[in-house]
Amino acid sequence: MSLLRLALNNIRGNAFRSSVVFLCVLGVASFLLGTTLVISGAQNSLNVGIQRLGADILVVPEGAQTEVQTALLMGKPTNVWMPASKIDEIAAVPGVQAVSPQIYLQSLYGAPCCSVSEMFLVVYDPATDFTVKPWLDKELGRPLARGEVIGGSYIFVPAGEKYITLYGYNTTLAGNLGATGTGIDQTLFMTQETARAMAQSSLTTAVTPLVIPPGEISEVMVKIMPGADRHRVALDILLKVLGVVPLESPNMFGQFRHQMTGLLWGFVTIMVVFWVLSAVLIGLVFSMAANERRREIAVLRALGATRFYVFRSILAEAVILALGGALLGVILSSFVIYLFRGYITSSLGMPFLFPGWASFLGLVATGTAFILLTVILAVLLPAFRVSRMEPAIAARE
Amino acid sequence: MIKLKNVTKEFNLGEQVITPVLDVNLKVGQGEFVIIIGRSGTGKSTMLNLVAGLIRPTAGSVLVEDRDLAALSDKEMSRLRSREMGYVFQFPSLLPSLTILDNIIMPATFTGDKGGKDLAKRAAELLGMLGLGERLEYYPRHLSAGEQKRAVIARSLMNEPRILLADEPTSDLDEQTEKEIMGLLKQIHNGGVTILMVTHSIALVPYATRAYSMDKGKLSLTHQK
Repeated sequence: MSLLRLALNNIRGNAFRSSVVFLCVLGVASFLLGTTLVISGAQNSLNVGIQRLGADILVVPEGAQTEVQTALLMGKPTNVWMPASKIDEIAAVPGVQAVSPQIYLQSLYGAPCCSVSEMFLVVYDPATDFTVKPWLDKELGRPLARGEVIGGSYIFVPAGEKYITLYGYNTTLAGNLGATGTGIDQTLFMTQETARAMAQSSLTTAVTPLVIPPGEISEVMVKIMPGADRHRVALDILLKVLGVVPLESPNMFGQFRHQMTGLLWGFVTIMVVFWVLSAVLIGLVFSMAANERRREIAVLRALGATRFYVFRSILAEAVILALGGALLGVILSSFVIYLFRGYITSSLGMPFLFPGWASFLGLVATGTAFILLTVILAVLLPAFRVSRMEPAIAARE
Repeated sequence: MIKLKNVTKEFNLGEQVITPVLDVNLKVGQGEFVIIIGRSGTGKSTMLNLVAGLIRPTAGSVLVEDRDLAALSDKEMSRLRSREMGYVFQFPSLLPSLTILDNIIMPATFTGDKGGKDLAKRAAELLGMLGLGERLEYYPRHLSAGEQKRAVIARSLMNEPRILLADEPTSDLDEQTEKEIMGLLKQIHNGGVTILMVTHSIALVPYATRAYSMDKGKLSLTHQK
């Protein structure tokens, strides 16, 4: 009879002990993978989001930093304005290679086109744009025509419709950007020409007309010269252009990052406590089981089992339970997080992007290995002790 | 075949030291059926465990097949137990999570025998011989005490041992079942297996080729055919 079969039979034959260990492992595995997924999903989302912005520095009106970052991060609509004259002032700052303005339009709530309740409308300038253009060149091979829009991953044309109607104006969805997990996913990008046509049309077709304040913009995207110091350029913008604040893209979402770090430490603390308690409990359960099974173990020794065989048979049971529990735990937590990611991220106030398959499998493998190691460590001592007992004494006790 | 030379075994129980086996000398030759009788707590089982190498003597030496057990490593001792000895415990010793068939096959695991179907066939034959041919897939809890004892004897014979050590194989059994079990052991002995058995029942002495009584850790010859 193989060691594996003996271990499986023992697991089946000791339902209570097996269930306790299995549930402990399942709990630790679920929590471990769940928290890691949420944290890494947020980090992943943040990185992809910043990359998608495509600018080295974002210049926003003074006092609007939090609003803009919240809009970009969570898709919370906002309206901020500054004079368009700031564009030239920013362009004149040493180290700046290119600038392009963007306008945040009045946002739509409960739009039928999107799988989100709020939609964020952003207008870009095709003449100077360097953030949307690379995507258009690659995916569309041409600039957006009048009446065309591109959307984040949550934007779609309503079923049975040809257009996305905004302020009574029909727009054609030319394509969708990849998912970022940030507010960009619920953003609709359009040219100034389309925005002006929409505003004109809204005067007669919309309940509330779309107003674009003339000579006003919401933010300026800045690309710095190769080799220029981003921080230096940002500092110069702050000093030389009044009424604006530069946000360096790698440092963006600072408040969120701070919040995420706090959350991370909270999770880590709970995790460590949970992990230690589970390891102790698993160790105790196996100690009790080993004590209960002294006679069985004495019988095995009398039949010719070596100490090492006894040790391995106990370890094999633990490994099978650990693998089973860990696997079910990671499947369950992945499933729950995938299904409820919207609810989890909105209640935690953080963006989330499910990691790619390679990263996900890496997480699962690391988590499972960690759990396995924990269980083996917890079981090592009782398995060693019972395997070293004199069989005749074990049988008598 | 089995030699005990001035064997003493002490157990240290805190402040108290007990000596269940005291300076025992015994020789059991090939093909003998030796029974040791004595009341509970006289050291019979301890002596049997010493022969099986399940405990080590405090003094003296135990030799099985001319090999001093004290000189054997755990691996060598385990190999000797699995290949040369069968052991019948006093208590119910079938593994509860295994079927009767798997219990009988178990000892073959430790000899490295990967006979597969042959092992199952041999185990089934053994169980058939002992009247348990219909119980192969039963679990120990489904068998009566007598049936369990028979299954244990079948298991002890699985690796065709040259020595069978039996610790009170008929305890807790009714008279009829006791007779059946002793009949089986006699049959096994007639097949050439050396048997060393301990019991508290004087009535079993006639089955033996030689019998000793044990008291306060000492052996004295009481019967020889």
